[in-house]
Amino acid sequence: MTKFKRALTSFVVPLLSILLAFLIGAVIMIVLGANPLLALKYLWKGAFGTAANLGTTLAKATPLIFTALCACFAYKCGVFNLGGEGQFIMGSVVACLIALQSGLTGFPAILLCLVAGAAAGGLWGLIPGVLKITRGQNEMIISIMLNYVATLFMGVIYTSWLRDQNIPQTPAIPDSVKLSRVFPNMRFTTAFLIAIAVGLILYYYLFWTSNGFKLRAVGYNMTASRFNGFPVKRYILASFIVSGAVAGLGGAAELLGTQFRLINGFGAGYGFDGVAMALIGQLHPIASMVVAIFFAALRTGSTTMQAGTGVPTSVSDIIQALVIVFTVAGMALVKLPEFEAFRLRLSGGRKKEAKTV
Amino acid sequence: MSFAANLILASVRMAVPLLFIALAELYSERAGMVNIGLEGLAAIGSLVGFLVCFVTGSAWLGILAGALVGVAVNMIYAFATITLCANQIVYGMAINIFAPALASFIYRVYFGTGSELSQITLMNGIGIPGLKDIPFLGDLLFNQTPMVYLAYLLVIVTVIYFGKTRSGLNFKSVGEHPKAAATLGIPVTKIKYVSCVLCGALAGVGGAYLTTCYANTYTEGNVAGRGFIALAAVIFGRWTGGGILLACLFFGFCDALQIRLQVANFGLPYQFFQMIPYIATVVVLSLIGAKKAGPRAGGQPYRREER
Repeated sequence: MTKFKRALTSFVVPLLSILLAFLIGAVIMIVLGANPLLALKYLWKGAFGTAANLGTTLAKATPLIFTALCACFAYKCGVFNLGGEGQFIMGSVVACLIALQSGLTGFPAILLCLVAGAAAGGLWGLIPGVLKITRGQNEMIISIMLNYVATLFMGVIYTSWLRDQNIPQTPAIPDSVKLSRVFPNMRFTTAFLIAIAVGLILYYYLFWTSNGFKLRAVGYNMTASRFNGFPVKRYILASFIVSGAVAGLGGAAELLGTQFRLINGFGAGYGFDGVAMALIGQLHPIASMVVAIFFAALRTGSTTMQAGTGVPTSVSDIIQALVIVFTVAGMALVKLPEFEAFRLRLSGGRKKEAKTV
Repeated sequence: MSFAANLILASVRMAVPLLFIALAELYSERAGMVNIGLEGLAAIGSLVGFLVCFVTGSAWLGILAGALVGVAVNMIYAFATITLCANQIVYGMAINIFAPALASFIYRVYFGTGSELSQITLMNGIGIPGLKDIPFLGDLLFNQTPMVYLAYLLVIVTVIYFGKTRSGLNFKSVGEHPKAAATLGIPVTKIKYVSCVLCGALAGVGGAYLTTCYANTYTEGNVAGRGFIALAAVIFGRWTGGGILLACLFFGFCDALQIRLQVANFGLPYQFFQMIPYIATVVVLSLIGAKKAGPRAGGQPYRREER
């Protein structure tokens, strides 16, 4: 397949998957006794209908973009970082401690929170990375176990150490440490801009620098890279740290921009969501960001949809899950030799070389 | 009864769901199918088991329904990875996202939001007459729910099947070297599908155990990482039935210890104790290192025409 055609399939497959997922979603809505077209209209209105709704969508997209980039970057180096959630949470925990305890205010406090959050996430990502390269151990299981540890540690913070009197949550961070909105009438903050900037930097690094090329080469074929003299282990470790740092930064930004306090359920599910988005986005940082915004739109819109038609918001979770189920299967399908032969027969082409990798 | 005896009894109870899920993974990996979607399979099994038990009042039907839904969901994985040759890890992840979403959706549609916690009656224990009266050992081995007996029976069957029967050796050969197996006339693709049926059923049962034999309610996230701890148990148990049993007992012990320590209240926040099973998993995995003992063709797609 030519480069162009490959790019085309990597667009077409997710788009078809989304379509198929929405079709099934529509069937579910009919079964539940709702009008799917009306529901879709509410979904759209809720997500993009007004400036305020668009702002909410972008605010919801912000943490998802961070965890999607986290998953994406590690996958590019051939390792599965499923610990985005834990890294995200550790970032927010450290940011929360600094915001509440350091006594700093204003910009220096914000900067310190973000940097320390990223460092905490990177450190949390370092653990599976080190165990992977020194003990050759399964990074997926380790990083997932660390998610649970991080969630429980956050629980210690908001139920014991920094509890807000009787309520199991931390007090809100001071106003001067909160990130400001970009437009006063829209809920999203500068955190969204940071997310976009991080995505662009990662894109530039991965696709336009020689180190990024080597990192992708390690992800593509670890053995060949080793024989080429690339420091494979160093790249693996670095990819864990960077991807952890991105998630940690996301956690800090989410705390300073949207949530303002640690509470039960903070960050829950964001890690796996990030993995899903990275996969649907074909492990491309920019595509993953677009997918993250799409999923955020689904979530924001589904509240309006529920109010308007009574379809429960969790339909949007099903649709999201179906998109990933279809996309991954679809990408595998188009890589099958039989499919390639079928496609060539359809187009009447007589190409000799149809080998894909 | 003493603290230690209680602890050991609780360990056995906590080990059972893990044992089902880990055996699910064993059957899958023995046919070269690395399935990290166990967490999702257990989640949907847990919910459907609960729901069926809630409606029919029968814990047994709940377990059966859990097994069936586990198979159904795992067939998606099987089709995508065996027939379409999708990456097994990636697809397992997709199942981990899809199945819990489906579970929580079904729960919300059926029970609505904000309704109080619905409860079911747990499966009754069956004591084996005579044997159950032996002090301590009687309670440990012969006075449990039938699911506990079933789990141990499964371990024995698994050990015999993979060690002593021709069919079991054929099964294993698919995970070791599918092409060589195929040249011997072993139906590789069929065995892979069979392994996925077994995996789905056992993981679903493991999930259903959590609601029908352990906690009498369903809460989101009740599998709590057991799907992944089971993966670790398979590695720790060196891909053998006996090893997995010991590994699951160890992780079950960690879980039981954690609960006992929480209750004992040492003035530490309870979450620190809850971390024990997860940290134990990390420590165990890092200690045993990566001596690769698993099936050699694990995770690789099998295509007949490919050379």
